[in-house]
Amino acid sequence: MFLVGTEETILNLAQELRRGTVVLACLAMLDEPQYGYALLETLNGAGITVDGNTLYPLLRRLEKQGLLTSEWNTEESRPRKFYRASDEGSRVRAGLTREWQELAASIARLTTETTK
Amino acid sequence: MTTPTLTERYVDAVVRRIPADQRKDVADELRATIADTVEGRDEATPEEAERAVIIEMGDPIRLAAQYADRPLALIGPDFYPTYIRLLKMLLTTALPIVVVVVLVIDLLDHKNAGQLIGTGIGAILTVGGQMIAWLTVIFALIDRVKRQDAVTKSVEWTPDMLPYPRTPDKGGAAAWATIGWYTFLVLAIMFQTTAPYTADDGRELEILNPQLWNGWIWPIIAGLIAMSVIEGFRIVMRGWNLTLVLVYTAAEALFALPLAWIVYKQMILNPEFVDDVNGDWTTPAAVYSGAALIILAVSVTEVFKRFRALPADR
Repeated sequence: MFLVGTEETILNLAQELRRGTVVLACLAMLDEPQYGYALLETLNGAGITVDGNTLYPLLRRLEKQGLLTSEWNTEESRPRKFYRASDEGSRVRAGLTREWQELAASIARLTTETTK
Repeated sequence: MTTPTLTERYVDAVVRRIPADQRKDVADELRATIADTVEGRDEATPEEAERAVIIEMGDPIRLAAQYADRPLALIGPDFYPTYIRLLKMLLTTALPIVVVVVLVIDLLDHKNAGQLIGTGIGAILTVGGQMIAWLTVIFALIDRVKRQDAVTKSVEWTPDMLPYPRTPDKGGAAAWATIGWYTFLVLAIMFQTTAPYTADDGRELEILNPQLWNGWIWPIIAGLIAMSVIEGFRIVMRGWNLTLVLVYTAAEALFALPLAWIVYKQMILNPEFVDDVNGDWTTPAAVYSGAALIILAVSVTEVFKRFRALPADR
């Protein structure tokens, strides 16, 4: 075993914290139809860092679960697959948002109590 | 024919590892996505940008596993402990037994030390390799079948499913040793028919009386195999029960009574072999009677030991 610095430990654990949030972020962004690369750029611009090799398979999985629908857009020179949240996806998004806010509130309470 | 681009090679490497019905769709999307990403980069040349993007997408096997929602482990956590336990058992118990048997056969065949070492190493590599390979293949298959099972059935877990704590199986090692020993005896009986003994005058002789193959040897071999099988049951059930011991007693009788009889009657060994070994000397009948008695005594002891091993509360 080699020793990892504090920075690296934080980075690794933060990645685990973020993992579940990507789904919520995708559902939130996909009110409007969007294609993979544009969504990745928007997410990264909004501070949700995610790699393409994670995001693109994830979109297909969410589609398979019925949370997203997709459509090929062939109007432009390059055909692209556009995803958008289904009705079920919107309901799940609302539920997840509530969960997220409760979680954030709980963590906020916990961390202020312990840092006192 | 033009050389395929890096993107084409990458897309192909990914989609050929995912189910056929999704291939075209994933390929089209991947192609568009890579092209989009390449355009968004500011490397000096498009080729450099393409290369950088593909490096970022990473190993196609890994990406394909993500698309197919397939695990990257050959044997998952459910079966890994059993796999390791069985592998250890095979390599530390079964493999040495096989190697010893092979070496004994070579030794009886008057092979020299160099040949023996060669045989030993050969047996370890080939038999050991086979054990590892087959066990791994079987477990990988079980793992895949079970995973799909779990997805479709998804049995709900309840506390009633908890296994009772296992008491350590004290007699397990002894049972394995017994199986090894009986297997060795059967193999030795089979092997000696290849006439491994060379007499002073150059004739090659069997050690056991060839006449035995007309009758007496069969119950002996059957008894040995039956006892091995029963010991196998004993290992699986982690202990003896009355039925098992009774069947064992019958198998032991099937083995020991004919053996003691043919030893007592001096029919066990090949007369030519005995003449060659003894020369002018004649083995006294008492040696045979004694050996027969020892065989019976050992057998009775073995049966008695197994009755004693029965759980007290039954």
